[in-house]
Amino acid sequence: MALRETAWRVSARELAACREEERGTGERAATYVLSPYGARMNRVLLAGTLSAAEPLGRDQPPTFWRAHLADPLGRVAVTAGSFQPRAMAQLRAAPPGRPALVVGKLQLYRGGAAEPAVSVRAEGIRSVPEAEERAALADIVRQSLDRLDLLERLENEPAVADDALRADGYPRRWIASARACRRRYPGADRASYRAALRAAIGRIAGTGRSSAPPAFREGVTVTVDPPPPARTPPTEPERAEEAIFLDLVDRTAEGSEDGYADVREVLRQIAGRGVPAPRAEAVLGRLEEGGVLEEPIVGKLRRA
Amino acid sequence: MDGDGGELPEIRLREVGRTSPLVHVVGRIVSLRRREVLRRSDGSRRPLLSGWLTDGSATLRFTWWDPPREGIDRGTILRAVGAEIREFRGRAELVFSWKTKIAPAGPAELPPLDPTALPLRSLRELQDRDEGFRVEVRLVRVGAKPVSVGEERRVVYEGVLADRSGAVSFAAWSDFRLRAGESIRVAGGYVRSFRGRRQLVLDERSWVERIESSGLPEPEELLLSSPRPISDLEEEGGGEAAALEGIVVGLLPPSGLIYRCPACRRVLGGGLCRVHGAVTGTADLRARLVVDDGTGSATVVADRAATERLWGVSLEEARARLREVEDPAVLEEQLAEAMVGRRLRVRGSATVDDFGLQVAPESIETAEIDLEAAAEELSARLGGGA
Repeated sequence: MALRETAWRVSARELAACREEERGTGERAATYVLSPYGARMNRVLLAGTLSAAEPLGRDQPPTFWRAHLADPLGRVAVTAGSFQPRAMAQLRAAPPGRPALVVGKLQLYRGGAAEPAVSVRAEGIRSVPEAEERAALADIVRQSLDRLDLLERLENEPAVADDALRADGYPRRWIASARACRRRYPGADRASYRAALRAAIGRIAGTGRSSAPPAFREGVTVTVDPPPPARTPPTEPERAEEAIFLDLVDRTAEGSEDGYADVREVLRQIAGRGVPAPRAEAVLGRLEEGGVLEEPIVGKLRRA
Repeated sequence: MDGDGGELPEIRLREVGRTSPLVHVVGRIVSLRRREVLRRSDGSRRPLLSGWLTDGSATLRFTWWDPPREGIDRGTILRAVGAEIREFRGRAELVFSWKTKIAPAGPAELPPLDPTALPLRSLRELQDRDEGFRVEVRLVRVGAKPVSVGEERRVVYEGVLADRSGAVSFAAWSDFRLRAGESIRVAGGYVRSFRGRRQLVLDERSWVERIESSGLPEPEELLLSSPRPISDLEEEGGGEAAALEGIVVGLLPPSGLIYRCPACRRVLGGGLCRVHGAVTGTADLRARLVVDDGTGSATVVADRAATERLWGVSLEEARARLREVEDPAVLEEQLAEAMVGRRLRVRGSATVDDFGLQVAPESIETAEIDLEAAAEELSARLGGGA
């Protein structure tokens, strides 16, 4: 069943500790990043403050932007490109230093000799009142603790049945994730992760800083995907159509058995959204040329 | 008693399939359909009547070859002697052919239904098509709704029943004078499932008795229960009076200003209704919210009133905006901007389908959390003060 991916509540520190990923089998492109805290995640929700967005690449106008989200535990890169116009506009518009929530998909970058680094490809960014950010942080700390407790339980009772854990209130998705993460990170120092979560309590209570002191930043370099090849920058409406198109491709692919989005289905749906066939074909052409989509089988689309 | 049936003892529908290949049953038609089958040999048409027959112990499908032209309707009670049994997809079916002696029967001939003899079941155990059981439940709420069944106007009493194991919706086609808050014993109902949502159906053959309420949950407990993890609701396949709390992480199209078919209220795509073709749509507002709590996510479809309240934009204002921007997608974008990141508490009836948990909300409220209490609780779990 192609279900929507849950947005795992995680801290920037948990993301900084991730080194492992699971590539989707078969043609499906879904990739999961595994954390030593027991999360096997594709989508995440973070709470913190954003830095000012900076453009990456040489495109004019810039088509790819990056900011950093800082929470009381660490810092992580948040990116958005012109293929997520809503997220890109939100990233550029988010007031620096103000509380925000970020929902996005994870990317684990392994480059050269550097340690693998995780960044978040934003799907939605929202400036929120401070109380909302603190409430989300409380969820993040609580769920991080729950997951660490679950890992500890598995450590102490490796033979415990899923049903017993389920009866104790752990979601099945978490149990499966925790088992996978325990195999991938056999020597993780969970006591230190647990202790580090204390740094967030002050912020939740309203007395502490919203972000970690600079000295605390994880020493990771974030490298981003190469920018798409130079071309005439699409106009605003064209970008909106591209976004709708990609959205439909993703949803059609998620719902299909083979993991591909059927071209005719996508074109039929986009027609229902008021984009006539010739324009939709043009959008598809741009996205294929730009290397965003590919058609490995005739009539079947996927993200490149 | 039909004299011809003497050598074949009458059995209950529940027992069909366990005895001889020819049976003698009495039952009431609950649904029927007339068809004609083309005979391949000579191209002639052979009339056929098929439907469902019940006697309170079970409901079986029947097929009746060359039926009488009239006099057979929904509600007709039949006595069939020498009906054949056929198995189709693992379920027994009755076939009435020239070998079957079939005649109308009176209500008195139906096997008497003894409510106390039926097994007591919990609501959680009930599955699609179950019948021949009794339940002891609290009536959480009930309301009358007029419906048209074919030509006929009828009133159906719909609501929610609960016991300690869970809650289920019900529809009563007879007036049992049900009142919210009552504790009742129900026998002779059956379960049907629609879009993954189970419903207990009561009709004129069902039996309702008021009982002492010991051990049954209070209606308020269900209607005001605390939110539960979305993963729990997913694993349980949804439920009535489900409550959840999470953050809006996305908005699914079509949301915002939409147009509905005036005949069937389906959302139009490009001015076309899937059933009625090109129609002039009626404007409406809605938001298909993806609410996520970190354990799972749910699609919550907010109706016009809820969308107006959460967005702070009325349908009229949305239409006025559309005249300025001339693109409904812009409005959808604005709605997404207003909704994503909001913490909501949602109550309603939840079902699970191929796209996950879907909630038809009865209420959507902005949720607030007690930050001081949360900080204290987490601090205690981490060992020591903040």
